[in-house]
Amino acid sequence: MVNAIKGLFISCDIPMAQFIVNMNASMPASEKFIVHILDPTHMFIQPNMGDYIKSKMAEFRDQNSYEKPT
Amino acid sequence: MAGGDGDRARAPKRYKSSAPSKAALVDETAEMNYADDFDDDARDGDNEVKKRDFTKLELKPDHVNRPLWACADGRIFLETFSPLYKQAYDFLIAIAEPVCRPESMHEYNLTPHSLYAAVSVGLETTTIISVLSKLSKTKLPHEIIDFIHGSTANYGKVKLVLKKNQYFVESPFPEVLKTLLNDDVISKARKAPEDCLGASSFAVSKTAGEIASGHDLLDGIELAAATEDKETHSFEIDSNQVENVKQRCLPNALNFPMLEEYDFRNDTVNPDLDMELKPQARPRPYQEKSLSKMFGNGRARSGIIVLPCGAGKSLVGVSAACRIKKSCLCLATNAVSVDQWAFQFKLWSTIRDEHISRFTSDNKEKFRGMAGVVVTTYNMVAFGGKRSEDSEKIIEEIRNREWGLLLMDEVHVVPAHMFRKVISITKSHCKLGLTATLVREDERITDLNFLIGPKLYEANWLDLVKGGFIANVQCAEVWCPMTKEFFAEYLKKENSKKKQVLYVMNPNKFRACEFLIRFHEQQRGDKIIVFADNLFALTAYAMKLRKPMIYGATSHAERTRILYQFKNSPEVNTVFLSKVGDNSIDIPEANVIIQISSHAGSRRQEAQRLGRILRAKGKHQDRMAGGKEEYNAFFYSLVSTDTQEMYYSTKRQQFLIDQGYSFKVITSLPPPEEGPNLSFHTLDEQLDLLGKVLSAGDDMIGVEHLEEDSDGKALLKARRSAGLMSAFSGAGGMVYMEYNTGKGKGAKKKDPAKRHTLFKKRYT
Repeated sequence: MVNAIKGLFISCDIPMAQFIVNMNASMPASEKFIVHILDPTHMFIQPNMGDYIKSKMAEFRDQNSYEKPT
Repeated sequence: MAGGDGDRARAPKRYKSSAPSKAALVDETAEMNYADDFDDDARDGDNEVKKRDFTKLELKPDHVNRPLWACADGRIFLETFSPLYKQAYDFLIAIAEPVCRPESMHEYNLTPHSLYAAVSVGLETTTIISVLSKLSKTKLPHEIIDFIHGSTANYGKVKLVLKKNQYFVESPFPEVLKTLLNDDVISKARKAPEDCLGASSFAVSKTAGEIASGHDLLDGIELAAATEDKETHSFEIDSNQVENVKQRCLPNALNFPMLEEYDFRNDTVNPDLDMELKPQARPRPYQEKSLSKMFGNGRARSGIIVLPCGAGKSLVGVSAACRIKKSCLCLATNAVSVDQWAFQFKLWSTIRDEHISRFTSDNKEKFRGMAGVVVTTYNMVAFGGKRSEDSEKIIEEIRNREWGLLLMDEVHVVPAHMFRKVISITKSHCKLGLTATLVREDERITDLNFLIGPKLYEANWLDLVKGGFIANVQCAEVWCPMTKEFFAEYLKKENSKKKQVLYVMNPNKFRACEFLIRFHEQQRGDKIIVFADNLFALTAYAMKLRKPMIYGATSHAERTRILYQFKNSPEVNTVFLSKVGDNSIDIPEANVIIQISSHAGSRRQEAQRLGRILRAKGKHQDRMAGGKEEYNAFFYSLVSTDTQEMYYSTKRQQFLIDQGYSFKVITSLPPPEEGPNLSFHTLDEQLDLLGKVLSAGDDMIGVEHLEEDSDGKALLKARRSAGLMSAFSGAGGMVYMEYNTGKGKGAKKKDPAKRHTLFKKRYT
């Protein structure tokens, strides 16, 4: 029988996919959210994690960008 | 004006990082459309937009003919396309600090220090205000006028002049001298032959202007730079009390900071040095201008001259020494530049060989004769430890001599405490500091202001490029995406120490580097320098690409051999350098720089590296704007995206961006069709490389550490307190040290002072 689960389909570039994979790996087993890694740039995850990943990514990007102090 | 003033006046430009306010866009009028270009790069995400309302500024009816905007907060914007740009620029550079100088619009800032510098080169408060209001499109806000009055009220009113070895306190305002004499310390220091009762006893003399003033639309500017005939009042002070008197005059006490001037023509006590500029040494216009600021009224002023690397700082230094014609002490940062300075002196001036001597740890030349030029390093003079016997003698001589000129190269690198020491050891009439990268927003710059003197001149990089005096460099930032495997390792917590080596060894970066080297070697026949701070990466890249490399441990002989081949052999077109190449190695042939790793966020390192290729090449007319080759030098910075390197890279570029350079971002390197022609094409190769990187020990991937040059000993302790140095460099806490060749290593062991006393006798 086919099992259908609701989830979120993510499409991103290679490094960001690795970032998400790394995030997933650092979580305790019960909170792991990646359902399936489809290919290096696409994956399927739990539906509720979208905003969390976005905020983590924004944090990561801010660390790597320099704002000229005014 | 009545109808239009309110909505037409506005700030032409905002902070780079602030978004254009809506009001500004609405207020846009036809002739100000250019301002939009500057706001394009504003980031939308910035929520802290400081709205500034400039609608109150009153626009003058003929504002189109005037080149600048003066805002109430002290910021000044200059249109570089105005016909009056040149005059306005000369004026602004004298009174304000340049903040950012892109192509069409410059931003300046009026600060108390910049005004102090203005006064010290002879501008007066009233001149500053009248010229500024002449140039401004709007009526000068009263805040600015008050600010200028407040800042200049006391600056420059008093001069300390050394004439015939007697110190005089000089001022055109007798009432100021009276105020000074009311102070206990100063009145005690006064040498009074007759009475000291008030103004009648001041000696009155006339000073003659040296420069004939040019008359143009803005004659006020030129007039002020020269000094007209005017009366000056003076009194003599005891030479032993000079230090105390100076102290009393500082802003925290009486607040009449003294300007120091040296009347070298009337100095009969110190012997003259026979040296002239050779006829073939023709200073360029901007060099002349910087010198005229220094010798404005026939006397020599102390101060700092800022010129980009490769623009001929040494000729300015040598010219200054030739004009003063007294003994000159020239301080450089390391032994290699000592040799270069000595060479420059011989190249540009008629000084006889026996009058010039070098004093470094390997090269202790005694000086002969009454006057001469001595070239040495800051370390040698400031060194606090035990010296060898012969260098002790030389230092004693340096201490005892009265120097006409103290010439200080690369003043931005030297920590303040070292400066104080050097200045306290050497008695000099006049101090001239030279630098390319005086990063300004730093508080420590104030130290330089009082230790050396105000900034006398600062050249605009883009103007020099346009004039063909320095190379026109195309700057590019090449974005290399991390490969999947490398990025996965980069993110792992346990690899936090290896982050740097992981993003430097990113195979995509390697391929981009290889592609660029091939392209420039084969298609253009260029000479390429590749910079890598990370030793592991340097070795890996150089080995893989089979190119010669130089780093700290490379012996002097091998270094010379590699550089000789790089200069002369058509086979060797690329050389890999660690940071030893940042300053001390002079390679005029190179015109391409590829930077694969760098020392964190050091803006100074970026500028210094760019300086390696700034020396103008090719025919002069080709280099002019519109000439055959628009760009003849290339500066590539390879950056792995999504890593810390992006942060550092942007930070490092700030200084050059403020000088008007723009960085082009290249994302598609190497082109996909290059595929298997470049290294690390297959996944297996990449994984192999990753394995090597991960298995490398922590000691191998670290930053290079080298020995320093000093008085025959490694002066590591002094150099490690580099916090101060970074403050000077403006690297914002990022330490960027200057390293020497490592030659000191051998000498260190042999140094007799280190031996046990028992053995000392045996060996010396």
